[in-house]
Amino acid sequence: MPSASERPRWQAVARARRWNYAGIVALVAVLCAAPVMVTASYYRYAGVLLVMYMVLATSWNLVGGFTGYVSLGHVAFFGFGAYCTGILADETQGSVILALAATFGITTVGAALIGVVALRVRGASFVIVTIALVYMGSLLAQGMRSVTGGSSGLDIAPLFTVSGRASRHAAYIVTFAVLLGIVMALWNFLDGTKFGMGLKAVREDEDRARSLGVDTTAFKVAAFALSAAFVSLAGGLYATWTGFIDPIFVFSVQISAQIVLMTLLGGMRSLWGPVLGAAVIVPSSEFFLVNLPRMHLVTMGVLLGAVVLLMPDGIIPSLRAANSRRRPPAASIREDGGSVAAGDPDSAGEPALIANGATP
Amino acid sequence: MPFAPRLTTDRRRLRRWAIGTGVLIGALPVAGLTAATTVPDDAGEPIRIGVSLPLTGDFSEPGEGIQQGYDLWAADVNAAGGILGRPVELIYRDDASDVNKVVSDYEQLISVEDVDFVFGPFSSRLVIPASEVAEDEQMVFLEPAGAAPEVFERGLEFLFYAAPAVADEHYDYLADYLTALPEGERPETVAVASMDDPFAQGTAYGLRDQLAEAGIEVVADEVYPPGTTDYSNIAAKIADTDADVFVGGTQFEDAVGLLRAFEELGYRPPYMAFSTGPTLPEFTEAVGDARNGILSPVGWSQEATFESNPEFVASFQETFDTDPHEDAANGYTVGQVLNQAVEAVGCADSSEECQTSVRDFIRDNEFVTVVGPLSFDEAGRPEQAHMIQQWIDGEVEIVLPAGSDVQTAELITRD
Amino acid sequence: MTRSLFVQAIVFGVLTGGVYALMASGLSLYFGVMRIVQIAHPAFLFLGAYLTYSLHNALGWDPLLTLPITVPAFFLIGVAVQRLLLARLRDENRAMMSVLLTFSIAVVVEGTLSAIYTGSYRSINLDYASKSFELFGARVPYDRLIGLAVAGLTLLALFSILKYTRYGRALRATMQHRDAARLVGVDTERVTAVGFGIGLATAAVGGAVLSIITTFFPSGHWEWIAKLMAIIVVGGLGSVGGAALAALVLGVTEAVVQVWLSPVWAGMVFYLFLFLTLIFRPQGFFGGRLAQRF
Repeated sequence: MPSASERPRWQAVARARRWNYAGIVALVAVLCAAPVMVTASYYRYAGVLLVMYMVLATSWNLVGGFTGYVSLGHVAFFGFGAYCTGILADETQGSVILALAATFGITTVGAALIGVVALRVRGASFVIVTIALVYMGSLLAQGMRSVTGGSSGLDIAPLFTVSGRASRHAAYIVTFAVLLGIVMALWNFLDGTKFGMGLKAVREDEDRARSLGVDTTAFKVAAFALSAAFVSLAGGLYATWTGFIDPIFVFSVQISAQIVLMTLLGGMRSLWGPVLGAAVIVPSSEFFLVNLPRMHLVTMGVLLGAVVLLMPDGIIPSLRAANSRRRPPAASIREDGGSVAAGDPDSAGEPALIANGATP
Repeated sequence: MPFAPRLTTDRRRLRRWAIGTGVLIGALPVAGLTAATTVPDDAGEPIRIGVSLPLTGDFSEPGEGIQQGYDLWAADVNAAGGILGRPVELIYRDDASDVNKVVSDYEQLISVEDVDFVFGPFSSRLVIPASEVAEDEQMVFLEPAGAAPEVFERGLEFLFYAAPAVADEHYDYLADYLTALPEGERPETVAVASMDDPFAQGTAYGLRDQLAEAGIEVVADEVYPPGTTDYSNIAAKIADTDADVFVGGTQFEDAVGLLRAFEELGYRPPYMAFSTGPTLPEFTEAVGDARNGILSPVGWSQEATFESNPEFVASFQETFDTDPHEDAANGYTVGQVLNQAVEAVGCADSSEECQTSVRDFIRDNEFVTVVGPLSFDEAGRPEQAHMIQQWIDGEVEIVLPAGSDVQTAELITRD
Repeated sequence: MTRSLFVQAIVFGVLTGGVYALMASGLSLYFGVMRIVQIAHPAFLFLGAYLTYSLHNALGWDPLLTLPITVPAFFLIGVAVQRLLLARLRDENRAMMSVLLTFSIAVVVEGTLSAIYTGSYRSINLDYASKSFELFGARVPYDRLIGLAVAGLTLLALFSILKYTRYGRALRATMQHRDAARLVGVDTERVTAVGFGIGLATAAVGGAVLSIITTFFPSGHWEWIAKLMAIIVVGGLGSVGGAALAALVLGVTEAVVQVWLSPVWAGMVFYLFLFLTLIFRPQGFFGGRLAQRF
């Protein structure tokens, strides 16, 4: 139980969380309405990609933001989702929705199994393992030609039979927006549960959490599996949207890195961070590609490096910190624990939580 | 730049940019500050052609080669007065060898830039998704480099591959030659190694299947993924079979890797063929003398006297200060087909009516190009045949079809 | 699979394994001193290959003779990168931040190479490159043998530095326990910078070897990262010797599988070993205690 002196801040955090739901609904509504104002096929196409990356980044943040484990392998689940949906849709005679649902389930189980092994290590080893997943996926997709079509790729039936590229893009903006709403709502919900607290305990100090009785392995695996499942769903949707799966694209490490960078830029510990990060990075990478034909790689690299070095917390926490520096401090130093930044609601109550035994 | 031999210096680059009005525009910002320009069909207004090419990333070398071909074509056309009296303007976007970006590039070119025509990108992998965009928008899609069988099996009506033959027919003349050899001379075994890539496999399997049909035994059939870094073991496996014929379904990196390994292993069968690699200028630098005797299918030859080819060669040498190559020739061919079709049909805009008439004209007629006369079937496949080249005494010679105008030397066996 | 083919595969496997060992050694050093994953190492390998190529074309020197120029240059670059960029990373989230930072460095290196050299394939073809001699019925190519020799010498030099010099002791101390090293008077900041420089210097050597044995183009470095990473995990993070042994084992296994099964499954060998390591011995088969808990 939070102590009496912490209750006002805790209530503020909970209230903010409720407002987030409203925000999510608003965002989804705006995204769904966007195609009305943007009619050129190209902009809608870009819009689908943008919302898709928002979904990927937010799903990634279920693991990255909560547990602090950095997976560079999420694109492997993206690719897996694409192929799984494609192959199942073939088997089930074209019921794409069924294929998508099955993909979600299969990935949850599969990712859990992978997670049990992969999450035995931390930090750098974990990153390496996730990178390996991507290359394995790529090799399997190309090697199992009879199932996956090998390097020729796989054709897949569309989810909507809508004529006209622009209309199809609009339909997918809506679909991805709805999916985004779901993932964001889930993130927000978990943020306030004991499950979420347990995950954050893993991030803060895994060994201490474990010694206090938190089943860190189960928590980590669950978060990993959930995150992977949503990513695979996005992959499946992507496949139905393009109608064609190319094995090299859907298993490229650069996509994974971009997802992580988006989340980092926006702020890993916040709900809106991934969305914001995607909104910045996706258009700007296109912008650089178009306007700096020979130099786009160098420019992107320099910018990303700058983000990592200069804004490692991301935009949102930096804004929050700047904002709360203007306000008088919320509580006395004694209650604060001394070291916690005045404006960061995420870490505010956690040392106290662990001390008070936040066990499931 | 003193080091890299193929780079254009600043001076040459300036010259290229100064060529006529066919200047390439680094594409406009996504910010959309430029409204979609609808170009009125007045005489004098440029005909705008949109292209997405892999100028960076895995396919950047051939991408740049094709760009040279497109640029030269635009310059030559404008120097001759343009098409229908209007100058030609090429608008490029770099897709960074990425399938997503190539789609978004063509979406942008068609729906925002509102170009009048589009030219295709490089590689079957990029051509396939890009062609879907063009098809949906009902625009003619002439492409210089998508030859894999899959490209033509998608039921597309607006797609045309502007080169002599599709992938699985690239080796046809060689297959005919080998199977026609008399009993004592005919090879008895063939070993195949191919990159796992629709185009590369298309070429190799075309030859393999024809040889197998003629009774030649396939003693090895290896496939390796595109990211392979080391070819020695695959080469060892092939060498171990000591086959009479080796067929490589290769790009560049693997052709070089395999050939070098074959030399190290001492495997020198009488007939050794690779796709793509031996036709690139860097092949000499990479393998040196080992290139002698290597066979390769090629769509274009510098010495060929097809109408418009000598002029193309001269123009290229003058502009770029080096000999032309197949990629540039393919790009040039695309332009030539469009040029002749548009002149004949008399319209040059993105309307469905115009695009459909152009498409119909392309399908029903034959064209004069630097790779020879060109015509297409109902799926957009060209109906001609690739030649077979061979490195002999350090030079590229056309050895097949024997007895034809294009032949420059007799086919030799390696010893 | 005939016996001669098998022997040939073993020979090739050892030769390639040596090259892998050379390339992975730098990664071990980076991880050892900074606990970071240096994704840009293969990109620097390619940079080394390109520089060797340019020097070879401009001056006509044999690639190995360019090492006296490239190795010190890369050492300085390594020190600079560590001091100016990586040292700024904070301790928390170091794994992620280092991955992203080195990823962006890799992109910058690739972009620079692409802008300067364009995407054309480059290679160095030497007279002795395609020649080979016979050993136990298998052919041993000279260029790969030279690659193995260079790798061996470099690793030997590395070992000697680590084991016998004072600096090497300081480096090992820093790798084992940073704070304790500081307590006994080691200037860990400087040691780390130099360690990183040495790691990048091995990239110069690796790049020169790469330029002899294969063709290269700017975006080719992405193919190497996963294999090299797998090698150092299997060998044990932070252990240079472990990485070398793992490289040999994996090189030979890969070669045999390529010949026996297919090239696709050969690629999987690295990742299978990686997962086996995680399941049975997460700290690596030859490595110290550094891995899991870093």
